[in-house]
Amino acid sequence: MSESVISVENLVKLYGDLRAVDDISFEVRTGEVFAFLGPNGAGKTTTVEIIETIRNATSGKVLIFGMDVRKNRTEIIKRIGVLPQEFSSFDRLTVEETVRYFAALFESDCDVQHLINLVNLGKHRNQLYTNLSGGLKQRVGIAVALVNDPEIVFLDEPTTGLDPRARHDVWDVINGLKKEGKTVFLTTHYMEEAEVLADTVAIISRGRIISTGSPSELIDKHSTSIHVTIKGGMGISSVAEAMGLQWEAKNGGSVVMEARDNEQILEIMMRLKEKNIGYDSIDIRKANLEEVFLKLTGEGLSGGGGH
Amino acid sequence: MNSRRIAANFNANIRGFYRNKATVFFVVLFPILLMLLFGMIFQDTGENMGPLYIQDMDGGVHSEALINALNSSGVFDVKLVEPGTDADSYITAHHVNTFIVIPEGFSDSVNMRFLNRSLPAANITILYDPGNSAAQQKIGVITQIINGMNMAYSGSQPFVGIDAVPSVSDDYKYIDFFAPGIIAMSVMTSSLFGTVGMNIELRQKGILRKLATTPITRSEWLVSNILYQFIMAMISFTAIILVGVVIFGLKPHLNGYLFLFIILEVFAFSGIGMLITRFVRDADGAQAAANAIMFPMMFLSGTFFPVEMMPDLLQKVARLLPLYYVNEGLRSAMVDMNLNTIIESAVVIGVFGVVVFILGVLLTSWKED
Ligand SMILES: Nc1ncnc2c1ncn2[C@@H]1O[C@H](COP(=O)(O)OP(=O)(O)OP(=O)(O)O)[C@@H](O)[C@H]1O
Ligand SMILES: [Mg+2]
Repeated sequence: MSESVISVENLVKLYGDLRAVDDISFEVRTGEVFAFLGPNGAGKTTTVEIIETIRNATSGKVLIFGMDVRKNRTEIIKRIGVLPQEFSSFDRLTVEETVRYFAALFESDCDVQHLINLVNLGKHRNQLYTNLSGGLKQRVGIAVALVNDPEIVFLDEPTTGLDPRARHDVWDVINGLKKEGKTVFLTTHYMEEAEVLADTVAIISRGRIISTGSPSELIDKHSTSIHVTIKGGMGISSVAEAMGLQWEAKNGGSVVMEARDNEQILEIMMRLKEKNIGYDSIDIRKANLEEVFLKLTGEGLSGGGGH
Repeated sequence: MNSRRIAANFNANIRGFYRNKATVFFVVLFPILLMLLFGMIFQDTGENMGPLYIQDMDGGVHSEALINALNSSGVFDVKLVEPGTDADSYITAHHVNTFIVIPEGFSDSVNMRFLNRSLPAANITILYDPGNSAAQQKIGVITQIINGMNMAYSGSQPFVGIDAVPSVSDDYKYIDFFAPGIIAMSVMTSSLFGTVGMNIELRQKGILRKLATTPITRSEWLVSNILYQFIMAMISFTAIILVGVVIFGLKPHLNGYLFLFIILEVFAFSGIGMLITRFVRDADGAQAAANAIMFPMMFLSGTFFPVEMMPDLLQKVARLLPLYYVNEGLRSAMVDMNLNTIIESAVVIGVFGVVVFILGVLLTSWKED
């Protein structure tokens, strides 16, 4: 296991009476993709921006590259790349001018064309920022976050508002960064995104981290049930009834029942055979991160919205 | 201070300027329009006082001589009214403010008086609108012309003469007065609204937050912004001077003091702009605050008319306004080169500009908390 590049201890941020970040501690290891997963108002942006040195914590200790964020802003900023939430840039600069502008701010002689191609903006390099669609603007933001060849890349909701195709493009870029050995700190509302990309996921709600681990660890740890979806003829639900399992009829004539363990799955199969109940398909699936998340936070994806 | 960062930011600003029709309008066209407008309004007033209506009931040599004298003064547009017309209804119908009636027998009376000096003077009648200031001025000029005639007729030499010498440069015209005013006003507007607008835009769009994650420092950003505002000011300045020279025959003294005042003014009003956006966070509020500062300043600081024309109290108020010192200083530098005024104004606006600007630097930071 590699060493930690970010370490946060007992971080607290108050806005008046509101505990936007409420005693959070975690570590991010070098080279991993770390995802902050949480609903609106959970405190993701606040935490990330404290680590990026652009907000001040109320209390707690934050080290990045072993340096205190309160004291080493100049040094830290040179080594990180940031895509702020809802990134926006100068309306009347072209894509290429925008990337060059930020490269100049870092006194960096990076390969601007390479960065533009990396985020698939080659065709749009001479288009004014203001005329780009939302998804393309977001990609400009990612290119800009890479001008200084950062060791850690912070991406605050990089795919919010993107269509599925554009989202997958961004995922490719993130995977590419990981291959280059960069550490990626991601915040997202999308379970799928965390599940696909992240080595470590921290679920955050109401300013607190409620669980941390790899996606599969989280699922193992928190899922109490296995979903068995059977599509087919009559009488399937009677099996669930007989076994006292929770079940639900779904559209298209399928029944979803919740099994506790493999024993119960076997029992379901046995009973289907005994009663000669026919079926078209059987799908056995552990709970996904979304269900874990909903269970842990008691909130929907877009629900919550603060305190 | 890193010159590459300053240059990059300055470049971005300049591109934003010429790609935005609104800023081009405010920096280039607006000052030109103001110059044209005020130039036209005030162009003729120096020479011509407008129409003068004369009804000649006499038709003799002396009435003709009087009409000629009035005509050749070049001050009036003399318009003759038919002797048969009713003066009162004509005045009402044509909105006349000054109407001269030369009565029948005027020339005879003058001739009689040549022969017998004890006879009363031959009178003409002036019907005028007492509420109209132009009429008062016309009567003043008419009186002068008639005095001239009297001296000529009586063959006397004047005891007291007047040598009128303009106190400002060769031929001082209204254009010389308001061109510096328009320059001062345009620079104020572009620096104040430019700075407020830019800060608001950067904050609203979250660009400030992004900039906070880059190495550009607040002072680098401010230096490049001041540089940019100065270029904007120089563009307005050039446009105004060109229109003044080409269209209105302005003859400005171009000298280093002009640039000194423009630089100091840019500092002062960019500084005010920074402070406004520091304390008024929402866009509409900040615009309103900028307007609230700009409008009184525009009218009270001697931009369009001399401060001395205002009541005492307002004159005192004017002396508290930074724009007053820019107006005074620019005017002195462009017109009469009064070094005392120049230095005094430069010191006042300089101290003000530096204080405001330093406050702006100290009180604003990238971190928004
Ligand atoms: N500058 C501020 N002043 C006051 N309250 C703030 C400020 N910034 C954030 N908050 C509050 O702190 C809480 C956490 O906000 P934060 O932006 O960190 O949430 P988030 O997890 O990033 O949410 P989202 O998914 O919507 O981006 C919210 O309740 C928010 O209203
Ligand atoms: Mg957020």
